[in-house]
Parts: sequence; C-alpha cells; structure tokens
Amino acid sequence: MTAPVLEASAIGKVFTGRREGKIHHHHALRQVSASLSEGEILGIVGESGSGKTTLSRIMIGIESASSGEIAFRGTPVRRQADWRALRRQVQYVFQDPFTALCPTMRIGKALAEPLAIHGICPTSERQQRVAQMLEMVGLHPDIAGRLPAQLSGGQRQRVNLARALMLEPQVLICDEIVSGLDVSVQAQVLALLVELQKKLGLSLIFISHDLRVIRYLCDRVLVMHLGEVVEQGATEQVFDAPSHNYTRALLAAIPDRNRVTDTPI
Amino acid sequence: MTSTSLYAGLDSGSPKARRGVLARLELTPALAAGLLLLAAIGAAVTAAPILTAADPNAVNLLAVRKPPSADHIFGTDAIGRDLLARVLFGGRVSLMVAGAGMIGSLFLGTVLGMMRAFGPQLLRAAVDRMIDIQLAFPYVLLAIAITSAVKPSVPVLILLMVLAGWAGVARVVRAIALQERSKDYVKAAEVIGASRLRIACFHVFPSVLPSLMVLAAMQTAAMIVFEATLSFLGMGIQPPTASWGGIMLEGKDYITTSWWLTTLPGLAIMLTSLSLVLIGDGLESRTEKLRAKESDA
Amino acid sequence: MTGTPLLEVENLTVTFPGRNGPFRAVDGVSFRLAPGESLVIAGESGSGKSMLCRALMNIQPDPAKVGADRLEWQGRSLKGLDEREWRQLRGGEIAMIFQDPTAALNPLLSVGRQIIDAVLAHRQCSREEARARAIEVMGLAGLPEPEHRLSSYPSELSGGMRQRVAIALALSAGPKLIIADEATTNLDVSIQAQIVTLLKRLRKELGMGLIFVTHDLDLAAEVGGRLMVMYASQPVETGAVVDVLRDPCHPYTRGLLRSAPTLHSSRDTPLRPIPGQTPKPGTIGTGAPFRDRCPVPVAGVCEIRRAEWTEAGPGHRVACNRFALEGRAGLP
Repeated sequence: MTAPVLEASAIGKVFTGRREGKIHHHHALRQVSASLSEGEILGIVGESGSGKTTLSRIMIGIESASSGEIAFRGTPVRRQADWRALRRQVQYVFQDPFTALCPTMRIGKALAEPLAIHGICPTSERQQRVAQMLEMVGLHPDIAGRLPAQLSGGQRQRVNLARALMLEPQVLICDEIVSGLDVSVQAQVLALLVELQKKLGLSLIFISHDLRVIRYLCDRVLVMHLGEVVEQGATEQVFDAPSHNYTRALLAAIPDRNRVTDTPI
Repeated sequence: MTSTSLYAGLDSGSPKARRGVLARLELTPALAAGLLLLAAIGAAVTAAPILTAADPNAVNLLAVRKPPSADHIFGTDAIGRDLLARVLFGGRVSLMVAGAGMIGSLFLGTVLGMMRAFGPQLLRAAVDRMIDIQLAFPYVLLAIAITSAVKPSVPVLILLMVLAGWAGVARVVRAIALQERSKDYVKAAEVIGASRLRIACFHVFPSVLPSLMVLAAMQTAAMIVFEATLSFLGMGIQPPTASWGGIMLEGKDYITTSWWLTTLPGLAIMLTSLSLVLIGDGLESRTEKLRAKESDA
Repeated sequence: MTGTPLLEVENLTVTFPGRNGPFRAVDGVSFRLAPGESLVIAGESGSGKSMLCRALMNIQPDPAKVGADRLEWQGRSLKGLDEREWRQLRGGEIAMIFQDPTAALNPLLSVGRQIIDAVLAHRQCSREEARARAIEVMGLAGLPEPEHRLSSYPSELSGGMRQRVAIALALSAGPKLIIADEATTNLDVSIQAQIVTLLKRLRKELGMGLIFVTHDLDLAAEVGGRLMVMYASQPVETGAVVDVLRDPCHPYTRGLLRSAPTLHSSRDTPLRPIPGQTPKPGTIGTGAPFRDRCPVPVAGVCEIRRAEWTEAGPGHRVACNRFALEGRAGLP
C-alpha cells in the first residue's frame, strides 16, 4: 500500500480557558488519527462538539494542534513554509457560504486571487481561467462581476468550491459544505462534488453531521464523538453493521421516510 | 418578563420601503442636509474674494467695532477690519488645518490600527499601550507642552491635531479589523496563500472603509473645534492671519458690548461642525442599512 | 371528524407591498386541525412556511397583510381580533417554538424566573403555585431535575436543553396548540430525535394540536399526522404523511424526495437534483409555481394558470396541472 495522501497522527487539541476563576482545560481532540488515501472520499461524521471541524482545520493548518503531527504524502508538515507548500496541494471549503467570501470583493477577483498570489498564470489569462472554472462548477461566467451578497447560498457555495479548485489541488477538505443549503440545492452541490472528484481525481475529506449525506458520498467513514474517533471503516460496514454503541445511537436517531409512523390522524 | 418574550425580536417589521430620489441615492434627510450645509460653507469660503471686496487684514481705525450694517454685513472688529472678510478668509485657514489634521490622523490611526490587528506580536502590544496613553492624555495639555517648546505655526498645529486624533481612529480600526479577522473569509484567504499584508489591504480594509468615512466627518468636526480652541488659547494660528478661533479670541474682550465679534465666528464653527456631524450620522445609518440589506440577501 | 376543530383555516394569504407591486408570501393555504392532531408543513426556504406560522400567531412583519376566507380558533373567528385579545391567545392557547431557542429566552434571567413569569401572565395563581407549575412543565419538557434547573441561566445550558426550556415555556400556560417552526433544525440528530419524540408524546398525552414546520421530509415521516408540502408560497400537495411520502403525486414533492439522500442511498443510485432555484417572491404570477423547474409542465397551461386541487386518494390532494390531466401516468 502506498503512503496516504494526507495523514493526521495522534492529534490532540486542548483549549485552555478560565471558568469561575479556575483554569480549565478542554480536550477538543484526544489522540485522533486519520488518513486519506489517493482518490478516496473520506467522511468524518459527528455531532456538535465532536471535534470534527477542529480536526479538519488542524489538517490545513489554520488551527494548530497541541500534540501530534500532520503528514502530506509521508512528509511531516512542521514549519510555516511546509504549510504554505501543503496549501498548494490541499484546499479547504468552509461551511458557511455567507461568511467565507470577502463581502467587498467581486467574485471574479476572489477567484483570480489564488492565481495572483502564486503567480500561476499571466494576468491576461486569469479572467479566462476564472470563466472556465465558473462554468465547471455550473455557474454563468457573468457572475464574476457580482458581489457575494448578490448570490444565493447555493451559488456562493459553488463559488467557494471554485476558488478552492483554482490552485488545482490534489486534496479538498469540505467542512459541512451543504449543511446550510436547501435540500434541492444540496443535491445539486453533492452531484457537482461527485462529478468534480471523478473528473479531477481529487482525494476528498467530507465533514458532515448528516449521516445520510455521508452514506451517499463517502467510501470510508470516521465517526467522532467528544474529541475521539469511536469507529471507522468502509461506509457500508459502518452503516450496515455498526460496532460502536454511539454509532448505533446516531443511526437510530436519523429520520427516515421508510419508517413512516402510521399514527392515526 | 411576560410570555410575550416568546416573540421578542420578531414583531419588528422590516423597514417600510421608501421611494424617491433620496431613497435611491441612499441619502437620508440628515445626510442631505449636512452635505448641503457643508457645500454652502465650502463654497462661501472658496469664493471669499468674490463675496467680499474687503481685505481681511486692512485696518481702518475710523470704523472700529461697527455693528453689522449694509457696508459691513458682519460689522467690523476692534481695529476696524471687515469681519465678514475675516470670517471667510479665516474659514479657509480653519478648514484647511482641520482637513489636514483629519487626513493625517485618519492615515496614522488606520495604519496603526491595522498593524495592531495584523502585525507581529510585539508591535500589537506597543500599539495598544500607545493608544491607552494617548487616550488618557488630555490633548490641550499636550498642545501646551508642544507650543511652549516650538513656536506655533500651521504645520505644528496640524501635527498637534494628528497627535490628538489618531488614537480614536486607531481604536475603531482595531476593533473592526479584529472582528473581521476572526471571520471565515480571512481564514479562507490564508488557505489560498494570501499574506497578512494582502489580507489586511485587500480583504479587511474595504470593510473598515465605511466606518472610516463616518470617522472622517466626525473627526473633522472635532478638529474644527480643536483648532478654534487652540487659536482661542493663543496657541494656534498667530495674528494677523485670521482663523475662526483667533477671531473669537480678538473679540473676547468686547463680548458684552460687541456681540458680533464672538457670536458670528462662533456661529461659523457651530454650523460647520453641525454639518459634519449630520454627515457622519447619516453615513453611519446608511452603512448600517446597507449591512442589514447585505445580511438579508 | 368529531367536535369543533382547534384551528380552521380557509384560503389564507399573506400579502407584502413589494417594490414591483404587492406579492403573496403565503397563498391559498387551507387546513383544519383537531385536538391531538398534527400537521407537518414541509418546504424549502422561500416556501412561505415560516410566514404562514407567523400569520397564524398574528406576528407577521409589519407591512404584511393577512387575509383569509375563514380563520377560526375553536369555532371563533380570529379576524378583527385586537392586539390584547391576540396576546391572550398567543402563549396562552397557542404557543410557538422557534428554530433558535435563544430568541425566546432572556439571557439575563434564570429559566425558572422566565417560566414562572409566563405562568403568572396567563393564569391567576400565587407565586408558589406558579413555581410548582414551572417545575411540572419543565418535567414535561424532559428537563432532568427541574428543581435544580430553575436557577440556571440560558447560557449555562446546551442547545438541546435550551430548546427544552423553550418548550417548557411554551407549555407553561397549557396551550391547546403548539407551532414548532424548524424547532429541531439547529440541533444534533440525537437531540432532534428526542425533541420530536417529546412533541409527539405531549400531543398524545395532553391532546394538544401540533403544527410542525420542517424542510426535511424524512423528519416529517417521524412526526406523522398530516403533511402539507409548500413551494414558493403555495401549498402543492397535502394528505396523510404516509400517503404523501409513499405515493407523492406532485412533481415537486417527487423531486424533493429524490434530491435528499436517505440512509439507504449510495452513489450508484445518483441523486436527481431539481435544476434551478426557488423563484423570487412576486415573480410567480398566476401560473403554476413550480413550472420553471418542473420536468413535465403542461405547455400553455402552467404558465398562466395554477392548478386546482385534484383528489389523489382519500384525503390526499395535489395541485398540479399535469396530474389533473393525466393522473399518475403523467408524473416524472
């Protein structure tokens, strides 16, 4: 087996705060390990407070771990320069499509920015690249002239996706990217994600609290609870034969149209 | 607390749609009035040589402290100079000094405020302490200290204003920048590799800008009053050059007998700051409205 | 149906004065709800479901006008009620739970104080009795150790606990109807399941009516009762939850069900998203609301005329021109 594309080993995260005068340590993550293989979609599922978002943010370096290490293709990422290099290959899509875009920057500029920062292509070609990318995520190129406030939630999430893809990353980390969207729009974004993953050969980490979405999308799944990984395995296995009690409880709590209750009206 | 608390915050309806020119330009009545007033004052001061033929420094000992009349609309001062000419030409100096002070303090305050939010750790602490010291230090005292060391002149006066004004600006910029910095879009910019400088200039600064415009208006109003105060205390513009505060200083001895000497320049100061405060308030409510609209969408 | 229904609504509309002329945020909603019954209103954002709830409580935003051919609470018309009478009804006989429980709770007062105040606002009793009642409703809302929770402040509670406090607050005056507007949307799935179970239990035990608003059709199934699917301010399909979910007859309901992954779906059976976006309010005109995204619009009809209700089964009705024309054979 080849080395995983992205690997987190024994990550711990402690938030220190004061409560009623006493110093209080909150363990957001305890000894969490996760690895992403080439071309796979890894789902991380958990409820609020499970630490799934913290873990994902540590994996891209926008939050620092208290202990443990991140490695990209077998090489540990330690110094600031390593993180910069990592972010050429690993990109991140934020949960809230309304806050993840700079409110004062037009879409075209926001999409061209990664290219400008890394000096990837001549200025004259950037607008064309932006237009191509907008088309790839199913948006009209005219959107480049708009401000984020003029777009719907679904459109903004597509823009966020497009921006993350501008650097042609190998890995995409998606943090609850469909949670805020309407069901019909959520399906559009999920379908797009599957299509892009196939087309671009991306390895994907998909974080969600919605087990139905995870089941639909992911090859492998990691179940987190209170800062620990309680179960992981192939999606079918985890969903059809959960081994941990917490996973079972989680699965039982999911509303299911096939369990229609025939309560008399 | 009754059970109506259940509906707290829900009864407030969305603001009624206002139509018409004012609404389309996003001009509130206050903002429009302020802009109009300021434009009128600015025009009058600029057109001073046209509005009055009198020389603001021409002494005429034969017409001393004449009350307002057809010849001298604002009357004359203690040595017979035309008060209208002095107020108009003095206004040029006062507005120029206040404007320069505003621009300087806004610039310094913005740079330091942004550095506080995005600069290295050591600088952050330094800026915080500087703001604290500046805000705790009475600026009239500072002015006295400086003018006793250096001869008062226009550049010194402007420097004083910058020193007096920057901390207030820096505090506001710091607050907004820190708030914006914690938002996802800043993290997102970090992820695509943007440097701190880039984030500060291209991502966060545009969000600070609307508040800076409000500050600019408020700051100018404060500067007008500050300049008048300093000149009134004799630490500002030196005679014979007219400035609003200076004219009041010259008229202060006759306040009981010749009301126009202090009242009319005082009125000019008041109207100018009023217009600026109106503009500031108007801009503020406009920014809030636009923000609300943004978050609505 | 026995006895007087709790709430009877016929052709309710909520009209806003828009920039380009007035538009309807809720259009043509009718239903009746008896004690102990539940009605699930399902729809996406912009469907008008929340506005409908607010109209039922008379807390719609200011410029909106509510109109109805009939709006009766226990046989008594609500039209022309003044604000004082509405206040008696709200929180007294009809209570509402919101998506964000913090909106319903005052952060500066202990939860006990807020519930006791709510009890005192709607019934004549001593403070001691009110306290006992507060403990009782907190117990009903599933808050463990209610006596100890009385002195807690909202900020000390988790999201799920806060929503339970909001439910206790809603129950305090012994309402006959609870309206839950996306009350479980922000909660974790396990907490959501608990809250839904709780609401169902309260409905059964206290014989309350329940109006449950959600965007999640799977959740509608868990709640049970009757279902009304709304799209772009209009109801498009209504019937028993079981019937509608097993045999959806409106193209929108069908599209929505296919868009949402279930616990049994996988990538081999791709989702079929509904193309396009929800139309902006005021752009629908007189035509069928779903026509622009519908895979089977009736050319020449859907553009100009919205469908009449068509019977699809006992108590199961659909407003679709295609269905009216061809029945189930015409559905996508």
